[in-house]
Amino acid sequence: MKKYLLLISGLLFSSSLALAGDWTGGDDLPTNPLPCSGPAPAGEAKPYDGGSPTGAPNRKGKTITVVDVPKLVGIGYFSATTKGILDAAAEMGSMNAKTDGPSEANIDDQITLIDNYITQGVDGVLFAANDPGAIAPVLKKALSKGINVVGYDANSDPDARQWFVNQAEFNGIAKSLVDNMAREIGGSGGVAIVTSTFTTPNQARWIAEMEAYSNKCHPKLEWLETVEAQEDNILSFNQANTLINKYGSDLKGIYGMTSVATPASADAVTQANQCGNIAVVGLATPNAMKPYVNSGCVESVVLWNPVDLGYAAAYVLRAVADGDLKPGATSVNAGKLGELQVINGSEILLGAPYTFNKGNINDFDF
Amino acid sequence: MRMKSIFRHETILFLVVIAALVILSIQAEQFATIDNLLNQGRFLTEVSLVALIMTFVIVTGGIDLSVGSILGLSAIVLGVAWKKLGLPLPLAILVALSVGTLAGLFNGIIITRFKVPPLIATLATLALYRGLAEGISQARSIRGYPEWFFVLGQGEFFGIPTQLWIVAFFTLLTGFILTYTTWGRATYAIGANETAARFSGIAVDKTKLFIYAASGFAASLAAIIFVSRVSTTRSDMGMGLELDAITAVVLGGTSIFGGKGTIVGTFFGLILIQILKNGLSLAGVKSDGTYIAIGLVLILTLLISNLFNRNSEG
Amino acid sequence: MNNQYENNNKFFSRFLINYGQELVLLASIIILFVVVSQVNHRFLGGNNLNTIFAGNAYIGVAAIGMSILIITGNIDVSVGALIGVLATICGTLAVSGYPIWVAWTAPILVGIAVNSLVGIIVAYAGIPSIVVTLGMMSILRGGLISVTGGDWITDMPEGFFLAQQDFMGIRVPLLALIFFTILMFYIMSNTTWGRSLYAIGGNPEAARTSGIDLKKGVVIAFAVHGMFVGLSTILFATQLNIIQSTVPPNLELTVITASVIGGVSIMGGTGTVIGSSLATILFAAIGSSLIFIGVSAYWLRAIMGILILCTVLADMARRRRVVT
Repeated sequence: MKKYLLLISGLLFSSSLALAGDWTGGDDLPTNPLPCSGPAPAGEAKPYDGGSPTGAPNRKGKTITVVDVPKLVGIGYFSATTKGILDAAAEMGSMNAKTDGPSEANIDDQITLIDNYITQGVDGVLFAANDPGAIAPVLKKALSKGINVVGYDANSDPDARQWFVNQAEFNGIAKSLVDNMAREIGGSGGVAIVTSTFTTPNQARWIAEMEAYSNKCHPKLEWLETVEAQEDNILSFNQANTLINKYGSDLKGIYGMTSVATPASADAVTQANQCGNIAVVGLATPNAMKPYVNSGCVESVVLWNPVDLGYAAAYVLRAVADGDLKPGATSVNAGKLGELQVINGSEILLGAPYTFNKGNINDFDF
Repeated sequence: MRMKSIFRHETILFLVVIAALVILSIQAEQFATIDNLLNQGRFLTEVSLVALIMTFVIVTGGIDLSVGSILGLSAIVLGVAWKKLGLPLPLAILVALSVGTLAGLFNGIIITRFKVPPLIATLATLALYRGLAEGISQARSIRGYPEWFFVLGQGEFFGIPTQLWIVAFFTLLTGFILTYTTWGRATYAIGANETAARFSGIAVDKTKLFIYAASGFAASLAAIIFVSRVSTTRSDMGMGLELDAITAVVLGGTSIFGGKGTIVGTFFGLILIQILKNGLSLAGVKSDGTYIAIGLVLILTLLISNLFNRNSEG
Repeated sequence: MNNQYENNNKFFSRFLINYGQELVLLASIIILFVVVSQVNHRFLGGNNLNTIFAGNAYIGVAAIGMSILIITGNIDVSVGALIGVLATICGTLAVSGYPIWVAWTAPILVGIAVNSLVGIIVAYAGIPSIVVTLGMMSILRGGLISVTGGDWITDMPEGFFLAQQDFMGIRVPLLALIFFTILMFYIMSNTTWGRSLYAIGGNPEAARTSGIDLKKGVVIAFAVHGMFVGLSTILFATQLNIIQSTVPPNLELTVITASVIGGVSIMGGTGTVIGSSLATILFAAIGSSLIFIGVSAYWLRAIMGILILCTVLADMARRRRVVT
């Protein structure tokens, strides 16, 4: 009996060794880490690679009907982007916008909804894709019916939409997260990741860029493990706890890759009385993080402002519909946000990611 | 007897479908167009294929919760066989169909040989098949399928979406099998009283094995059409499909206890759910409202049908 | 002497028949704990046991209610959606200034009310429970999004966080799970009402002739299940300092799996709540142990599926041996 137990545990142990040391959760696309310090190099100008609607009517100055289809409805992040879109619509006075999305981040439900709105005959579609490829056929269908299509938050294939409002570049987010982590844990130590699922494109991209940047600029950060936790806060909490229990004092920091995982990880660290010993750095909305930032358990939260993201997306759609934003443009006016730059051919950059901390987090409400 | 046939569940469901069609056409002008209705066929396909065979499964008194996971697994196998193993796409399609059928057959073996109740067996394989899909894919999606492959999910044939022909064919085929063949009669007999069926010489285990394998096949066929429609492969495809299919089947009047149910009923059930999803959306109802409406229609339709049937029996 | 031995043997095989699945689960848990702690001794650390037991107790409490329902031959697929709705009610009341006991009682009462309604439709209109609860799931899910729009609930008052409390050194959720498991096990095996549940599911005809009101029995089973959903919600909602007002993904499948793998027969009539609670703990322990032994995260769910299948097949093998 004992022999068997030893054999089994031996097998399991060796397999765990064999599997260790590999970043899990990243994708295979090429990475482009930013320089460790100093300004980012200017990207090469790329020609416009977005699509264009066929036979779109002249919508200049006319009131347009717009539907916004986020990845899912019912989470704080997309409530915030909706608010931004509605704010912009109210400000412009020439846009009827409404948000309608699936209740789970499901590729098929999202496609069905967009298709219904194409049939209904909207003037514009705003979307945040659950999958860049799966959503492409229905977006192309929208373009072929003369509908203006603009993405935000999560991109589709470039030729399936006109423009994409990029909240912050992947390598910029990665740099911000890794730099914050390195600063908080003193430059070296073991770190782990709590993400939603390995199939979520944005998260996989960030993880891959974080790996590249971390290897380049903070080689003493030792990656321990990535765990999946869906968009479920109790599961995220349990998974973060399991990491804390497994690695003990070897674990110096946890990255939360979603607005659900970050607060749940912070809660796990708080309840394990490890504040100050284990840093939590992640992407999250300020409202969900206020309890942990105010208590001092979490120093910094990285995010762009999702209200601004929605707001900018609405302005970009208006500019496209008016014919003011054409292929080849280098910037676009986005109301109170001013002029936003065009990057990567057909993307509009919202700005650099923003770091919330104790000093400023209470000024935000989303 | 005559009263009963007038107030059959299928008849009531048919009236509900007609009522929904009329109301939705009035509420949304874009609803009752040929284009829109044909287009809905595309969205109906995957769940239809699965629900048609699910009707057989439920008529035998069983259930198959693993169909969504089989869809995910078959999709991944298709992609991996084609892209990673370098098989020609038609061969990869055959491999994916075989894996799906085997997965269904494996369900059948656990259920017939090891006497595990179908709900428990397929709950376990629901986790297993989804896990295999994740493990094999390493969470990578597979893309870049050749243009001809998209004919299946995005193309047309004589002006009608390709997959609608497939659904029509399978609806007629399954309807014929369940109503007019010995297989169909055996299916009902097993569901009505399995022990009696065994004693009267029906090959109960063989029939069940065949039905669960067919369920796996239907899910993998749905996988191929789905991949063709969305042009990409992900391991989380088909999540929650099992509940959508079961909803359509029970709305169609198939008894969850077995022994009773028709393909016609399932067909109307599928149509009713799809036109509600589409029509309500066109009429300006958001998806949360549509969820509520589908839940209410499901409960109310069965409530009305039960009331009529009880009266006619009494 | 011989007779005594035979009696013992009979007692033992009876015990195996009645509590076999519970023993299989208990043995699996012990083996798992022994093996994994060999690989990483931190697995048995107090914090990790707390994560496994207390972190998943809400699933076990919901599975108690589900087991009662399944024993009567019914099922509830809306349980995840209902927990999402009740958690939102619980949190909203707590932050709108109502006393904490009101916030804690409301989910129980609403849970009982909703499930009694389902029970009435099932029992008196004769619609199978899977159909009614499928419909209910859709209604609750849509309703929750329409009402909350997805805002998180934070800033609950001090003292709200029941699931974070210790009592005599043990986390409250674990205590609650143990308490309700033993209580319901006792009630179901020793009271007339408890035995009537088994009769309703196992042999309704016999139950009717022995004077049990089947319809009333089903409604009451649903109401009791609703109460446990409410209790589960309290543990769910008070575990973190934030409440995510959405439906927890796939929670209904987790709860149903715990019940049926715990030995509750889906045909009704047999099973105990001890089995469902042990199954909850086993699954939580498997999930945690796979991380501890470092299984590749991509294969984690596949291995979980194989282990669930093994549990099911082990139970079938045991049953066959006992019968023959």
